Amino acid sequence: MRIKIIRIVFVISFIIIIAGLFYVQAIRGQYYYDLSVNNRIRIVHLEGWRGNIKDRNGKVLVDNRISYDVMITPQEIKNIKDLFEFLSKALNVDKEELIDTYRRNKFAPFAPVIVAKDIDRMKAIVIEENKYLYPSLFVQESYKRIYPFDKIGAHVLGYVDKVNRAKIERFKEYGYSFRSTMGYSGVEEYYDSYLKGQEGGLQIEVNSQGKQVRLLSIKEPTKGQDITLTIDNDLQLISAQLLEDKNGVIIVMDNENGEVLSMVSSPSYDPNIFSDSKKRKKMSMLFSDVNSPLLNRAVSGVFPPGSVFKAVVAVSGLASKKITMQTTFDCEGFYELGGIRFGCTHVHGIQNLVQSLAHSCNVYYYNLGLLVGADRINQVARSLGLGEPTHIDLPFEKAGYVPSRRQSILFGKRKWYTGDTLNFSIGQGDTLTSPIQFVKMMATIVNDGNEVQPHVIKLIGSLPVDTYSIKRDVKIDKSIFIEVKKGLRAAVSEYSGTAHILDIEGLYVAGKTGTAQSSRNKEHHAWFIGNVISKRKNLSFCVFLEHGGSSQNSTLIARQLLLLMQKEELL
Amino acid sequence: MRRDLEKRIWLYTIAIISIGLVALYSASFQNVRVPLTIFYDQLLCVGVGLVLMYFLGKTDYRKFYDIAYLFYALNVILLFAVLIGGRNALGARRWIEIAGISFQPSELTKLALILMLGRYFSNRRPSLSFGVFNKMQVVFRGLIIPFLLTAVSMFLIFKQPDLGTSLLMFGIFFIMLFVSGLEYSYIFGFLALCLSVVPFAWGILRSYQKDRLLVFLNPNIDPLGAGYTIIQSKIAMGSGRIFGKGWLGGTQNQLNFLPERHTDFIFSVIGEEWGIVGALVLVFFYFLLINCGLNIANQVKDKFGMYVAVGIVSILALQVVINIGMVMGLFPIVGLTLPFASYGRSSFLVFIIMMGFLLNLSKRRTIF
Repeated sequence: MRIKIIRIVFVISFIIIIAGLFYVQAIRGQYYYDLSVNNRIRIVHLEGWRGNIKDRNGKVLVDNRISYDVMITPQEIKNIKDLFEFLSKALNVDKEELIDTYRRNKFAPFAPVIVAKDIDRMKAIVIEENKYLYPSLFVQESYKRIYPFDKIGAHVLGYVDKVNRAKIERFKEYGYSFRSTMGYSGVEEYYDSYLKGQEGGLQIEVNSQGKQVRLLSIKEPTKGQDITLTIDNDLQLISAQLLEDKNGVIIVMDNENGEVLSMVSSPSYDPNIFSDSKKRKKMSMLFSDVNSPLLNRAVSGVFPPGSVFKAVVAVSGLASKKITMQTTFDCEGFYELGGIRFGCTHVHGIQNLVQSLAHSCNVYYYNLGLLVGADRINQVARSLGLGEPTHIDLPFEKAGYVPSRRQSILFGKRKWYTGDTLNFSIGQGDTLTSPIQFVKMMATIVNDGNEVQPHVIKLIGSLPVDTYSIKRDVKIDKSIFIEVKKGLRAAVSEYSGTAHILDIEGLYVAGKTGTAQSSRNKEHHAWFIGNVISKRKNLSFCVFLEHGGSSQNSTLIARQLLLLMQKEELL
Repeated sequence: MRRDLEKRIWLYTIAIISIGLVALYSASFQNVRVPLTIFYDQLLCVGVGLVLMYFLGKTDYRKFYDIAYLFYALNVILLFAVLIGGRNALGARRWIEIAGISFQPSELTKLALILMLGRYFSNRRPSLSFGVFNKMQVVFRGLIIPFLLTAVSMFLIFKQPDLGTSLLMFGIFFIMLFVSGLEYSYIFGFLALCLSVVPFAWGILRSYQKDRLLVFLNPNIDPLGAGYTIIQSKIAMGSGRIFGKGWLGGTQNQLNFLPERHTDFIFSVIGEEWGIVGALVLVFFYFLLINCGLNIANQVKDKFGMYVAVGIVSILALQVVINIGMVMGLFPIVGLTLPFASYGRSSFLVFIIMMGFLLNLSKRRTIF
């Protein structure tokens, strides 16, 4: 019967298992017993290097250096007092402090504990020389990330730190362990999987003196890939210098392909703090600083747009065919609605579209906004990329917000009034935009409706990353942009234009200023979004000063930026 | 004689559970990684389980005949639910939470599959095949349909991903198919066909599953990662030698060298602390229990009962052999528990329920 056959198969399987037990435990028992008693097998981890990060000219922005850590294997300790006395002398550190670190980090007798990180090379040699006296002691080499330019461009680069518990669970399958370091924020995070090296290690058999008896096996660590950015470090230095002591953002982007040449968010931080154990104490200061230096304002900061938004309203006016270039509105210095006066900066008189952009006349846009309607403005703003992330290759990008009547009615607490449309038309109210969104929008206008994808990656290893270089048509008539550009140019070229100081010899500059009201008792935000064309370059740029007062301040910095770029032959 | 068989099932089950608890206590003794609470957790489970087993022994197993298909269908739905919304642990979705209790539906599937196949095969008449059409019909009804039914849960479990349990399902199916009396030429033709698919299946495995299989062939290719467990487990087993290092004396165990020692690798703890003597005693009890089950399968009068008994016995035998084989490095590490000994509520309770069925079968084996 078949059950009988199955019984026989089961019996045979059990005999095999029993034979296996005999082999492993009785015959090879002594061998395994020796392994377990002498224990013996120790694992030495070899860290993989992270790839370097370079700027577009090949200058190294992020590098590695070797650091020496002192480790103790608990089960090898003979005399704990002697050991720490020696260590304390050799390292010139308080003995109690060393013992304290040791106790805190110890978790298993065989697992080496780090007692001192990143010691001098000379001290490392002294310890290695005395190793025969203290078999439990050894010095391990590891790699530390260094950022030679400290604060410059920290937000683009990011920093590295040990993998935290939450991330380990998520990334375990991708080869991360609790020993790994991982990129946090910036390119270090976004391109972590390319930068990261493969961890390796040695499995060695050691005797009771801690000496290696035999190398059982080895797995070579590997270096991660180098990454080349579109960033120009010389330009970064200029931008960072201009924003010294200010809170703000400078972005410069190539209109041809969306390559970000410079992105500086101020205040910045020193990423070395996270990888250098001596500087780590400053870390908590970073997290508690009221100016949030860790925040990359260029992509993660969203602010009211102010008058910069008028460019959007101008496009929507022409796109909806409610106005032509010849349509004019009369500015008497205010617009009256239901007994409330909505003000303007000056009495501008009769304005057409070009003049209104040049002078940033509120009244023109109150009229235009009412004519076009909030729905249409919202639609155009969205197709110009506002209210949604630009998908730049940096983490934590914010989408910003473009209010709409429908949302306000459906989800909001209140009705949408005509006054809301007025505020909306001049970039006040609930609208929030990030600097990178405006740079992208400016490029779209300059490119006559062809949207580029902002990005900071140029090469991975030696392979160009060209997936970002695709242009997308925003489906707004080309001629509209040509008209709007005239207005943006007039703001610079006209004597009465709001950004006339940017009229620099040898350069074509156009743009839009913006002074955005923020919370009641703080200074306004100052914007300048511009386009500069020289013989060699066609760039969009943004100068944003958080609570920087009037837009004159940001325009002034834009002037300095362009002059310095001209001087350094970056244009 | 009848009472005798029942008593023996009780005796062997309790003996195995006790040895498991002793080992589990040692595995979690004064340890941070594996806290002692899991021991008490398992103890509670044993208490509940034995009561459950007693009552199942009194319930007529033929009641389960009626709900076998429904039960299996519900199980498939649960497996779906796990894939969609299950709890993620150690890189796999295996747990699901219902009414605050989390369990692994894949464990329950073992039982559901046995009942489903039992009912299906017991309804099939062993028909002699004459003519091509008839032959096709025999193959279709006797092999393809039950295989497809099994394959649904195999696939869902594989997706979790849990290769071990998925292959175990195939093992159960194959043994029950074998017993169903289908002609040998079909059975082995089918097996040959399945084996020929294996090289192609390599491509759909997860990278860690490939790692484990490669490491099984040569543990030294990844001594720090996947190979670590096999090497350490072998050292633990081997270093126990004849009489072991004594209870709570296993250094591999106590010093945290053994990963997952409270679940899949509990047998290494037994091997290290009680030596080959302890290991053989446990293996012997398993064998006696399986032998009892086979005797019941032989004697039971109705076909459904016979299939259920065969199914239960084969799952027990497969898991014991594979688990012990894997801790000794004879098989790749596929994550199957050691019945009654490994920590884990779902696994433990499902095996207890199976023993309840065996009790019941032995009680009614002479009743027609």
